[in-house]
This record gives sequence, C-alpha cells and structure tokens, in this order.
Amino acid sequence: MIRVEGLRKIYRMGAVEVRALDGVTLGIRQGEFVGVTGPSGSGKSTLLHLVGLLDPPSGGGISIQGTDVLALSDDEQTQFRLTRIGYIFQDYALVPDLTALENVVLPALALGLGEREGAERANTLLSRVGLAERTDHLPAELSGGEQQRIAVARALVNEPVLLLADEPCANLDTSASAMVMDLFASINRELGQTVLMVSHEDEHRRYFDRIVRLRDGRVEEEGEPGQP
Amino acid sequence: MLEREKVALYLASRSLARGSRTGLVLNVAIIGLIFTNMILLPSIISGSVDLFNEQTIDFQTGDIQVRPGEGDQYIDRAGTLLETVNRVPGVRRASARYSIGATFSARNRSVSVPVTALDPRNEVEVTRIHETMADGEFFSGGEQGEILLGQYLAGNEDPRKDFYASLGGVRVGERVRVAYANGAVREYVVKGIFETKSYIVDYTALVTWDDLESVAGGRVDEATEILVRVDRDADPDRVKTALLGAGVQEEVKTWREAITSAVEESLETFGIINSISMVVSLVIAVVVIFIVITIKAMNQRRQIAILKAIGIHRSTIVRSYLLQVLAICGLGTLLGLAMVGALGAWFTAHPLVFPDGVVVPRFEPASLVENTVWLFAASLVAGYVPAWRITRENILAAMKAA
Repeated sequence: MIRVEGLRKIYRMGAVEVRALDGVTLGIRQGEFVGVTGPSGSGKSTLLHLVGLLDPPSGGGISIQGTDVLALSDDEQTQFRLTRIGYIFQDYALVPDLTALENVVLPALALGLGEREGAERANTLLSRVGLAERTDHLPAELSGGEQQRIAVARALVNEPVLLLADEPCANLDTSASAMVMDLFASINRELGQTVLMVSHEDEHRRYFDRIVRLRDGRVEEEGEPGQP
Repeated sequence: MLEREKVALYLASRSLARGSRTGLVLNVAIIGLIFTNMILLPSIISGSVDLFNEQTIDFQTGDIQVRPGEGDQYIDRAGTLLETVNRVPGVRRASARYSIGATFSARNRSVSVPVTALDPRNEVEVTRIHETMADGEFFSGGEQGEILLGQYLAGNEDPRKDFYASLGGVRVGERVRVAYANGAVREYVVKGIFETKSYIVDYTALVTWDDLESVAGGRVDEATEILVRVDRDADPDRVKTALLGAGVQEEVKTWREAITSAVEESLETFGIINSISMVVSLVIAVVVIFIVITIKAMNQRRQIAILKAIGIHRSTIVRSYLLQVLAICGLGTLLGLAMVGALGAWFTAHPLVFPDGVVVPRFEPASLVENTVWLFAASLVAGYVPAWRITRENILAAMKAA
C-alpha cells in the first residue's frame, strides 16, 4: 500500500552536509500498525515528514496506494494530505482559535462536507476518543492528553488511508500516554486503519505489528516487536 | 471552489470573534478615521464650490447670462430683447445691465472700477445683491444721484485692512465723485454698501438706469449683459435652448458655461488637492492594513503551517485573511459613515466661516461610494501581500520558527 524507495533527505548547514535520511526503503501493508524507532537524530521524524508530504525529499520515491505522491504539484499534495493522510504532531498542533469540535470539523468542511454533516462526524469521533463532553472547549482549556485525542479525531475525520503520528505521547504523562496508545490500537484494530508512528518509548513496542529501527538515516533493523 | 470560501469564512469569523478585541477595535477605529479623513476634505471643497456657484448665480450671472454676440460691444434694442426673454417659458425675470468704466474719487482717494447701471425692479427679481446690504439700503426704483458701493470699493479708513485700493472707508450719506469713461462727471450720494463676499462683485458700484441715461444724455436701449433668473424647477440648459429657439441672437450661456477658464482652473486645482488627499489617506490605509495583517500572519505562522499540514489550501488561508480585512474595512467604513454623519450634522448647525462666505461641507453619495470602493480595494491588496507571502513558507520551517 505504501512504498518508500531509497528515500534521502540532505540538509546543508553552510559547508556541512547532514544526511538526515540516507536511502530508506520500506513497505507498509494496509491495516498495519508500524512503529518507527531509533535514537535521536536517526531520521524518524524526517521520514514521517517526507511520507506526510510536509517536506520534499532530496531523492528517492514515495508511493501511496499506487500514487507517486512526489510527482504531485504543491496544490495536489495539499489535497492529498486532506483526503488520504491524517497527521498527528508531537505537540498536538491544534488551531488555538477553534474549539475541539471546530478543530475536528475543519478538515471535513475543506473536503466539501456541510457544517452539520461535518459536525455529526466530528461528534462521533470525539465521542470515540472520550471527549464528547469537551467539544466546546478551546485547546487552551484542555489537558495535553485531551488535546492529543482531539488531534487524533481531527486526523481521522476524513477517513484517511494512512495515519502518521510523530511521537504523539512525547509530551504526555504515563496514564495519558497509555490512553492515547490504546486509542491508536483500537482504531487500528477496529477500523483497519494503517498507522505509521514514530516513538522512542519501549512500552509502545507491544502496540506495533512491526517495528522499523533507524540509525544515522538508514534502516538498521526491521521486524515484529519481539524480534529486534 | 465554494468549499474554500466556506472554510475561509469559518476560519475568519472565529479568528475575529476569538482574537484580540482591543486590536480589532483599534483597527476598526483607524479605518473609520481614515474613511472620515477621505470624505471630509472633499466635502469641504464641495461646500466651497457650492458657495462659489451660489455667489456666481446670485450676484454675477443669474442662471443664464445673455451677452453681446461675437464682434459686438453691446446688446442692441435691449428693451425689446428683455421683453422677448421674459416671455420665454421657464424665465422668471430678466434684468438688463450696462457696465461702464469709471474713476471714483472720495476722501482724497481715487479708484478706477466699473460701474453697473440696472433697473432695480428687475434686478431684485434676478440677483440677491439687495439682500446683502451691510449699510444703507438698496435702490427702491427711480432714484437719481445715488449710488451703491461694494464693500471692497468703499474700503476701510485704515488701508492695511483693505484687500484692494479703496475709497478709504466711505460711508452711507457721503458724496462720491464719478468720472465716466465717456467724459461725463457726476457726484453721487452713497445710498448703501453691499457685501456679497464675492471679490469681483464687491469691488464694483451700482447706479440706476435713469442715472445712466443722464450720463449718456438720452435714452439708452443698449446693454452689456442681460441676466436671467429661471423658475425654481426649471433647468437652465432647457431655458437656454428655449431662449435660442425664441430668436435670441446674442451669446447665451448658462451660469456654468459663463464661469471663466480661470475659475475652472481653480476648480481643477481643488480636484487635484482632493485627489492628493485621497491618495495620502489610501496610503495610510494600505500601510495600516499591511502592518496589521503582517503582524497577525507572523504571529500565526505556526497556525498557518498547521492548517497547510492538515490539508487546507494556501488560497483558503489567504482568503480567510482577506475576509478579516473586509470585516475590518466594513466595520471601519460603518464607523466612518457614522462620524461623517455626525460631522455633517455639526457643520450644518455650525458652518465653517471663510472670508468669502459660509461653507457647509457637502457629503456627496458618489464620493462616499467611490472612497469606500477605493478603501476596500487598497485594503484587500494590502492584506493580500503579507498573507500570500507568509502562506508560501515551508510548513516545517514555519512550525519550527514560530
């Protein structure tokens, strides 16, 4: 379903060349929950940014559901993000001027749904993530765990083919973290949602179907959670 | 495409509702003041032009001015022509005038200005000079040996107060010696001093037609001009056409056509001042909106990046900023209209006093619409540029920098 071939990302800082990704190749099947681990600076977040079309690669290819996404124009990539990809950031990245409900409704409106239909879908998702009672709150009025669950609901509202999560529990305490990871697991299991998640927490390994371990911008190991 | 407008409206409405109230009020107030500034100066100029036009009609030309045909110095058979003119539909009354050069002497001073002879019974129906008597009285008809002086001709005892060379503050009842261009010399008693506040009219003198005939030594059936006042609801252009249709061979001009090119140039100058004022106001509006949107977009760089990351198109985000600009402009314009309305009421009750008369600023609907359109157009451009620039930033760079 997702095919990454020889993906490279090179940053130039003056005369210094930093190879954040140095020829990463991997495939992800539909409905898989794949964890990307590795030490700091190994290229985990960079991989997610490139697959999520937030940053252009220096080389290589990405195919999602048979679409060569790097061949898309800037506008087409934006549309692809809206319709096919759900992205969850480490720091939630909610729009501060919008309530929980409005944050979730927004991508649905952009997709062309009416406000009522979008709100119905958003309310369903907010109930699923356990925030049915907090829909009218602004992000600043919510805890980190609650904000991250809203971010999950927002990422799911357009029924994406791929959910990307960049260390979604990095800013959460243990119980909030467990709640969010359980949520991902249930979404993956019950909806068959494909998930690619960056994490450096050992306790998250049990949630993943497969783990890709990066080091120095390359795939160091790849296998089921028990193997590496 | 409507989805983008819907999402833009969704974002803009919430940003305005939940953003800084103080900032919004200040922005609206600034736009309101800019709008008022754009309207006020043109309205004062329009008021001044109105005053000038009124003075032209009431004291100089009437609604229509009939002058000698090309190559002629006088209108011949003026009495017959006057009767013809008075019979034309739409004409309320016509007044024949005869102007002749003269030198005035009084209080050991001498001034050369034209003197105009008229029939007071016709004149009071055509011009309003009789309503402007600063001292003494207007002619009642049939006077001889009496003269009316304009305020600048009568002048002041202290020459420093005079605008032009004058007769040194001649007052009603004093005698003035007038040497006419045809060699005749007469002495008149000053019957009144008029003050129209028109610099041209107030530097002349008036005598009756009977006095003119005494100077000429016989009946005068010539005139240098015939002024025509039309009925209240009559259009001067149509009456002019009717006059020409009635066989008037002389040069017939409406008051607007009679205004000299020098005056037209003055009006053009007013127009240029108006345009400069409007451009300056627009530049201020552009700068304010540009700064407001730049600061807003800079402060929301991360938010813009998030929106792009979740699939909101750049154009949608730009439109949301433009809608906010439209809202600020709309509210600012409404505030400006309220201030303009209040100023209009104030100036109607307390008109501006200028040396050449009382000016009531005139707020023209066309000017209001034109300035509103310009303000909105300029603001949209000023809002578009920073929003467009900031939405082009790389998503990750914007998220990290913010």
